Amino acid sequence: MSLLARYAEHLFWMARYMERADSLARIIETHAAYDRGRESETSWKWLVQLYADDEEFEEKYTDASQRNVLHFYIRDLDHPGSILSAIKAARENARALRAYLPTEMWSQLNEFYNRIMLTGEAEIDIVHLSRTCGMIKSGCQAQFGIADSTLYRDEGWRFYGLGQFLERADQTSRLLDVKFAQLAAEESPQDRIADTTFWALVLRSASAYQAFQRIEACRVDPDRIAVFLLLNPSHPRSVSFCTHQMERLLHELRMRCRLARTGRALHHLDELTAYLQVAQQHADLVGNLHAFNDGLQRRLNAIADELGATFFGYAPHQPIVQTPEPGMPVIGNVTQSQSQSQGSAPS
Amino acid sequence: MATIAALTDPTQPAPFDNYDPRGHYCELLGTKLEPGSSAIGIWQRLQSLGLDALQTRAAEAANELFNLGITFTVYTERTAIDRILPFDVIPRIIPANEWDLLEKGIQQRVKALNLFLWDVYHERKILRDGVIPANLVLKNANYREEMIGLDPPCGTYIHINGTDIIRDANGEFLVLEDNGRAPSGVSYVVENRHLMQRAFPDLMQGLKVRSVSDYGERLHHKLAEVAPEGVTDPTVVLLSPGVYNSAYFEHIFLAREMGVPLIEGRDLIVENDRVFMKTVAGLEPVHVIYRRLNDDFLDPEAFNPESMLGAAGLMRAARRGNVTLANAVGTGVADDKAVYAYVPRIIQYYLNEEPILGNVETHICAEKEGLSYTLANLDKLVVKPVGESGGYGIVVGPKATRAELDEAREGILRDPANFIAQPMIDLSVCPTLTEHGLRPRHVDLRPYAITGRDTWVLPGGLTRVALKEGSIIVNSSQGGGTKDTWVLKEACK
Repeated sequence: MSLLARYAEHLFWMARYMERADSLARIIETHAAYDRGRESETSWKWLVQLYADDEEFEEKYTDASQRNVLHFYIRDLDHPGSILSAIKAARENARALRAYLPTEMWSQLNEFYNRIMLTGEAEIDIVHLSRTCGMIKSGCQAQFGIADSTLYRDEGWRFYGLGQFLERADQTSRLLDVKFAQLAAEESPQDRIADTTFWALVLRSASAYQAFQRIEACRVDPDRIAVFLLLNPSHPRSVSFCTHQMERLLHELRMRCRLARTGRALHHLDELTAYLQVAQQHADLVGNLHAFNDGLQRRLNAIADELGATFFGYAPHQPIVQTPEPGMPVIGNVTQSQSQSQGSAPS
Repeated sequence: MATIAALTDPTQPAPFDNYDPRGHYCELLGTKLEPGSSAIGIWQRLQSLGLDALQTRAAEAANELFNLGITFTVYTERTAIDRILPFDVIPRIIPANEWDLLEKGIQQRVKALNLFLWDVYHERKILRDGVIPANLVLKNANYREEMIGLDPPCGTYIHINGTDIIRDANGEFLVLEDNGRAPSGVSYVVENRHLMQRAFPDLMQGLKVRSVSDYGERLHHKLAEVAPEGVTDPTVVLLSPGVYNSAYFEHIFLAREMGVPLIEGRDLIVENDRVFMKTVAGLEPVHVIYRRLNDDFLDPEAFNPESMLGAAGLMRAARRGNVTLANAVGTGVADDKAVYAYVPRIIQYYLNEEPILGNVETHICAEKEGLSYTLANLDKLVVKPVGESGGYGIVVGPKATRAELDEAREGILRDPANFIAQPMIDLSVCPTLTEHGLRPRHVDLRPYAITGRDTWVLPGGLTRVALKEGSIIVNSSQGGGTKDTWVLKEACK
């Protein structure tokens, strides 16, 4: 019996939301640590820009103070892009999967959710922020660890992985984009380029500091960092690493799970890989980083849309040529409305 | 063997201090108020554990239920609150000989109800013979004309049945209600047992308690028995209204324990009168659907056209014999509160046997004698509307105010056919943990019977307990909780 299409979709989104919560916690924690080392409080506006939430944020708050931005991105349940909203959405997807998921996966997420929903305003002030982000990261990491060691390796595992790596590639690309935009906006960008703390922070946001040091040994400069986070084949949070994983998972769906319809998603992925290869040859990647990231995001979205259309039933299925079993209807024109409340793609 | 006194810590109050069932039958101590041979072991263990230990472990158990998500969900406008069904850690004991009687009685009852359903959707002999008024059946809101002439495999309509049973002051078992549509609660039976095994392994040690953990396997097996003709390896699925249903946990539990997909209406599609589910590899056939969805919502083509929860064409597929729905559509006519009064006669009519389990005496307000008796004795009777479930709309005569009785009288006169009346029933009690120690609280019992070719009854069932002192309303929506139910393997000596 094959995996229910709706289960594949829930697994994909569950992983995406957990990954998103994890990335957000990382980014917030590292920035707060950097902020503490400076004489005056820096604006947190960049975080709002990172997720292109300017409009929604300005409707609710007058200024991008740390307090406001942290509330918006950690606790605000009316904001779908907050950590609490992401964990809630992950749990809603998990709830629909409870008959399928190993019990430990559900119970860890459920306990984590019950704990995280109690997060008060005091827990996100500057004194407690690091601990709170740490708790969130551990919760997300525990979930991924349990999935890795307990989830059955059928189609579902592959869709879960596709969601996780797709979201991670997206987050890494956004992080780079906004950090370089921040740089370009500086009055004296040269000071910032020389500010190794700033660059260490970018690396730490992607948990890449040690790995980067190991191969680049203190040659901290914007170009090397961008290339590392985009193209390094061995760092688990680089875009290139994530696309390789997605490629592997799609091939497994095709060969091991015998899902013939992976063709179009693989085609989109090939395009993305080629795009990254071109970047590698590019003389001035950093100078064109924003345009590059735009193209990257578009290609990631194309893959997500394709998975939705082919496997989750967003779009009418194309008839498949196969020998029909006696009594089998012709497969085609199976429509399923996109009624998932969590089915909204990230902005 | 140590004496009871030696096992009890004299420095703290013993759990059973001041325990007094006040004339009600006690499930542990019987009418004599001493533990019998089947209960002495458990009584001693509870006494020696002491009240503090019981309280501590009960709190841990409640916490575990919450973390495991064994909850039902209460939705308000803004939030969804997960609540656990209150669980009492003191088990209810059923000795082997008592269970033997219950099991046989339930099998007999389910068999008769299935024969009744076949008859009313085919020849209607029982109506022509005047055993039951034809109008009561044919004009019943739950009678489904779509079922006329449909032949369900094995003649089984009620595949899953829950019988609500109470016990009077003499300890006699009486059936209070049949639930032949989609009885819920069985997940709590199994989860309660698992919880007790973790929280109180010492309480159970050495006692021969019959297992309940094979329910899912048995259910899958029975549902495979009723697959459409010619299907050798049927695909069984569980159809749920979805995550927002308050019984969603149970749907998860059942799908997981049976090893079948938990699906929603939007996962299904009917083509050429055959049912398919949408998978990542395309459409795959479905043969048996255990549906936890009311008739009304099952198929917008046949019933409520507004329903988004079912799938269009299911009824067509069922009529063609291409899919088996469990329970069948239209079983509501057999577990109706008005038809209930006739079940002893239904058993005699089809099986030519005396009922093993009796009914609670019931007055049918649709009948002239029943109505006049009810109106004359309103202050002594419990009046129930026949269409409601979950304990709503019940008027308990002896506890009602003058105004409430007048209101009930008006309601009955306006629509007599909507009411039945029963004498105040006496529910047995079980020792139940309270802040002050063990206290008697009223309980009922809902055993679950599953039927394919024949009927298997899960040993025990759901013991519901009214946690409020003196209350006899055990429904979870009205402050009831549950207990683990232990059917002992060996007969009492």
